[in-house]
Amino acid sequence: MKIAVLTKAIPSYESSIRVDSSGKWIDESVVNYVVNESDSYALEEALQIKESIGNESEVVVVTLGSEANTSKVIKDGLAKGADRGIFINNKSSTTDPLTIAKLFSEHLKSENFDIVFSGLQSDDMGAGQTGVLIGEMLNMSTATLAIETQAESNKIKVKRELESGWFQWVTLPLPASISIQSGINEPRYPSLKGIMGAKRKELNICDASPENQSQNFVNLYVPKNEKVTEKIEGDVDTVVSKIMDVLKNKLKVI
Amino acid sequence: MLQFSLLEQIALAVFLLSGISFFLYHLLLRLKIVLKGKSDFTVNHLPKRIMRVFNEVILHKKVASGQRKSAGIFHAFVMYGFIFFGLITVNHFGMAFGFPIFNESIRYTYFMYVGAPWAILCTLGILGLAYRRFVIKPKALGKFSSTSALVSVFIVTLMTTYFIDELHILSGSAEKANWWIHSGVIGGFLFLIPQSKHMHLVLSPFNIFLRPFEVPNHGAIPIDMDASEEELDNLLLDLSRLSKDQALDIFTCVECGRCTDVCPANRGGGILDPKYHFILDLKDPMLESGDVNVVDKINVEAGWECTTCQACTEVCPVGNHVEKADEIRSFQVLAEGDVPQEYQKLLRNLQETGNTEGASSSAILDELPAYTSDKELVLWLGCFAKHAMDPNFISSIRNFVKILDSAGVSYGVLSNEQCSGDPANKLGDKLTYQLLMDQNVEELNKVKNVTSMCPHCVVNLQKEYKKYHEIKYAVKHHTQVISELLEQGRIDINPGSLEKVTYHDPCNLSRTLDEVSAPRNAIKAAAPEFFELDESGKETLCCGAGGALWWKKDGGEGRTHLLRAEQVIESKTDTVVTGCNFCYGMMNQGIGPLTPADQEPIKVKDVADIVAENLS
Amino acid sequence: MILVVLENQRGNIHPFSIEAVAAGQRFASELNCDLAILCMGEKVDELKNQAQAFKASKLITAKNSMIDMYSADGYSKVLSDIINELSPKYVLMGHSYMVRDFLPRVSAKLNIPFVSDIISVDFNNGSPLYSKQVFNAKLATSIELSSDQALLSFQSAAFSSDDIENGAPETELEFDVQLSDQDIRSESEPEFQESSSGVDLTAAELIVSVGRGIESEDNLPTMQSLADSMGAEVASSRPVVDMGWLPAYRQVGSSGQVVSPKLYFSVGISGAIQHVVGMKGSKNILAINKDEDAPIFEIADYAVVGDLMEIVPKLTEEINKSK
Repeated sequence: MKIAVLTKAIPSYESSIRVDSSGKWIDESVVNYVVNESDSYALEEALQIKESIGNESEVVVVTLGSEANTSKVIKDGLAKGADRGIFINNKSSTTDPLTIAKLFSEHLKSENFDIVFSGLQSDDMGAGQTGVLIGEMLNMSTATLAIETQAESNKIKVKRELESGWFQWVTLPLPASISIQSGINEPRYPSLKGIMGAKRKELNICDASPENQSQNFVNLYVPKNEKVTEKIEGDVDTVVSKIMDVLKNKLKVI
Repeated sequence: MLQFSLLEQIALAVFLLSGISFFLYHLLLRLKIVLKGKSDFTVNHLPKRIMRVFNEVILHKKVASGQRKSAGIFHAFVMYGFIFFGLITVNHFGMAFGFPIFNESIRYTYFMYVGAPWAILCTLGILGLAYRRFVIKPKALGKFSSTSALVSVFIVTLMTTYFIDELHILSGSAEKANWWIHSGVIGGFLFLIPQSKHMHLVLSPFNIFLRPFEVPNHGAIPIDMDASEEELDNLLLDLSRLSKDQALDIFTCVECGRCTDVCPANRGGGILDPKYHFILDLKDPMLESGDVNVVDKINVEAGWECTTCQACTEVCPVGNHVEKADEIRSFQVLAEGDVPQEYQKLLRNLQETGNTEGASSSAILDELPAYTSDKELVLWLGCFAKHAMDPNFISSIRNFVKILDSAGVSYGVLSNEQCSGDPANKLGDKLTYQLLMDQNVEELNKVKNVTSMCPHCVVNLQKEYKKYHEIKYAVKHHTQVISELLEQGRIDINPGSLEKVTYHDPCNLSRTLDEVSAPRNAIKAAAPEFFELDESGKETLCCGAGGALWWKKDGGEGRTHLLRAEQVIESKTDTVVTGCNFCYGMMNQGIGPLTPADQEPIKVKDVADIVAENLS
Repeated sequence: MILVVLENQRGNIHPFSIEAVAAGQRFASELNCDLAILCMGEKVDELKNQAQAFKASKLITAKNSMIDMYSADGYSKVLSDIINELSPKYVLMGHSYMVRDFLPRVSAKLNIPFVSDIISVDFNNGSPLYSKQVFNAKLATSIELSSDQALLSFQSAAFSSDDIENGAPETELEFDVQLSDQDIRSESEPEFQESSSGVDLTAAELIVSVGRGIESEDNLPTMQSLADSMGAEVASSRPVVDMGWLPAYRQVGSSGQVVSPKLYFSVGISGAIQHVVGMKGSKNILAINKDEDAPIFEIADYAVVGDLMEIVPKLTEEINKSK
């Protein structure tokens, strides 16, 4: 069983996110890059499947991005138990989803992965499409927002999370590309042996040259904070009717 | 004088020899296991050690302390009874072989002045203890103990047969039978002691003598990132092994349960029971395997609940270092990669940003002067202060700085101060700890004097780092600095209002750093209406934030983090002062919600606050 | 042509799809195109009936037993076929879980870019600029497209269903769905709900959150009634949990859950930092507190300084009356 886990390095939640002088990207010098949260869950799911199936399985951490940011993502994956890593070196930070998926697909095609796991979306640009796009490009079945998986040798059952507390089980034949929802499991911490053994694991580095893309990110900007606090005043009855107005007409929640 | 036939003498000899062999066999078996432990016993500060044995064994200072004064006194009667009966016993057996050590008149004198009074006291003692154990049944003593019952019966029997013998109440074969009963019970002790908690008779004076002075005394776990696979395997194997001190502790344990009684995690409703999880659970595995590789038998969940406050170690009357959270956590983290989810983020923050909060900047840093080599003191802030983990504490920092300014002390902060690493150290992630420690030591070895308002930082900078590196700087807690300035007359404090003021001793300061007087000097100078809380000084009750538990997300109904706040509220004080930023944060979080509606909210202050407010 | 695809939500048009219709009408008028509305897959007849209320050029239905139940394979193939046949310039949907699940398949199949989770559109004289939130909504980006066609999905409330032009579709078209067994590889089971023993506050759209200001455990039922009347989940700040009034899984804050509901209705919460970090991402915040200096008012959209014990029961009554 060969499982690929697509992982991305993204700015940590606590990092200062500031637009740089070009107006098109963020100032990376003040940013601390970490593994995208749902990707950690995806990796853990893959490792658990590998542990339950046994030695004939392989978990491969695959990442795409610039060298500076992605090396720690690979190291983290290898330290936690992935067998090898693939790093697709793409210097541009504003590659659009279709192009990213094409780059991945080119390099993953020959590997013939049985399962491709990805996080449901990355906490930077957050398009949330990569796993499904790749699935289509490599002719795999797809599912998203998996909150539980049951993998067998030729198929995988996925519990999809739906809106408002609903769920659905879907059975997919392999190969399948599945995006993983946070909270599906409890990601492990790398053991000391894992951390030190990561250095000795195989890492393939390939260069990528994205072609012309159809989505152009014109600029990045700070959204206008339109938060004006509206005071609701008056006697109890007035206040209640004003709140009703807000709930009913402005927010439309009742 | 009783006469013994050859047959009787042989029988006695066989009986005694088998008892003694049995006793020695089990004693040596255990000592052999102990000697397989890591590191060595330390016998530094010899006079101090001897004094300690005198205080704790002879004077029963720990055994008869606090609420257990009467139990301790009864125990003293029993112990002294045993000691004084030593010669009587030698005489008793010597007599059988025709070599009594007392002649009639000495024997009589000994009986009148030593034997009889101590027999009565000893009986009183054991009956008192039996009453406590079997009738009152304190929770800490656990379930019914057959060995204790047997010991009670044995001792009463010994004393009774002794009196019968000395007072010549019986004669002929009855008298002989009485003698044999007495001997049988003594022999019985030889069989009973080694396999029960009564081994403490033999082991505790040695254990108390050998007890390390450093509290806590967990060994360093240096990790070489370039180590070979074999070296790494050895390191990991070592993580599962106990030290000699720890192994001896386990065989010495008298199962009194005081450690569990004082444990804040246990009192807060957690599952942690130090008596079993940290000590007794490990005894049978050691005996079965004949080795000390038993760290993995410590209950993992219990291990994560520990606040590492050392109350258990402080209270132990037989010289044990009870807490083993460090061992089980290091094992779980380094060998198994098993870290609870809420702590993974904390550790990643430390690795990536050098602070617990994952922050990229610190506002307070801009307010304070930078350290330059002409300044007297490095003001070590710590993550709590730097990243405003309780925003109210910022004013306490400002107050401390005000005190330093008033005394004309020059100080500065280090711009590249990394987290001292305490949370990583306490969680068992020694790799992340080393990362931070190595960077800090390099900077700190360039300076002379450091002070911090966080006892956790002080503990690491001063004591823990020493286990890994040569330390050239000196560290003081800020209350020690304030107290010194006061003594030197460099600051003057006018006693303030007549509000009732009390002090909560931070466990890291009072126990680990052994400092209870410096904060009190400062507070009492400022507040004449100072009073002590129950459980103060070295008996303080941990606020619940230790052992990295500040960062633990609420999962269940645990109240460990509220116990001390409740005690403070019950004391009806107006103000509670503390000397640790974590305690400060915990008091703020707990006191507000728990104060009953009809009681005024209690003010929470740091020592720096109450001093700065009253500087003249 | 602008093609709006309606999604089924248990027999009704998904609210996001309704907003997509409003978007579609706006696109049609701004770009001078026709608007077509598509009902495909699940509950086609019900969707078609409800879609009669919307003004559009064409109402298309695509019905087939093989897509009576949603599948990514089925929906993506059918929609791709429709797009190939009708060549719409833009395909519009609401950014729902279903759209995330299958629309990227269409994007890859047809090599048409999919701009997802759009919060606003600047029509820019015929070459629209799409805005979306990035970096946990700390920043936003504008995207322009150089392709002929595009797939677009809109975040909830990017367009308002209030703006829908009522009327009726002018013509109807039944699309001939071509599907074979090999096209659909997955097997779906029916959707189900789970009894929540541990509530996931992060999934709640509406939250009523209580703080120390409610003063007593006895006042909890009053707050629960308010929550029930709105169909909201109950949450709280930490002191309420510490006092044992509510279980720990209801706690919002730095040591509890981090939530971002559509409405965070806070009652008696002062707004300490540890709590605020857990809810400041909420789309709307309404706070009631008797202290006008309470920090919660700094981040609230609607601030009510008053006695919650007087306001809440009356409010609950009014809400129930209006239902």
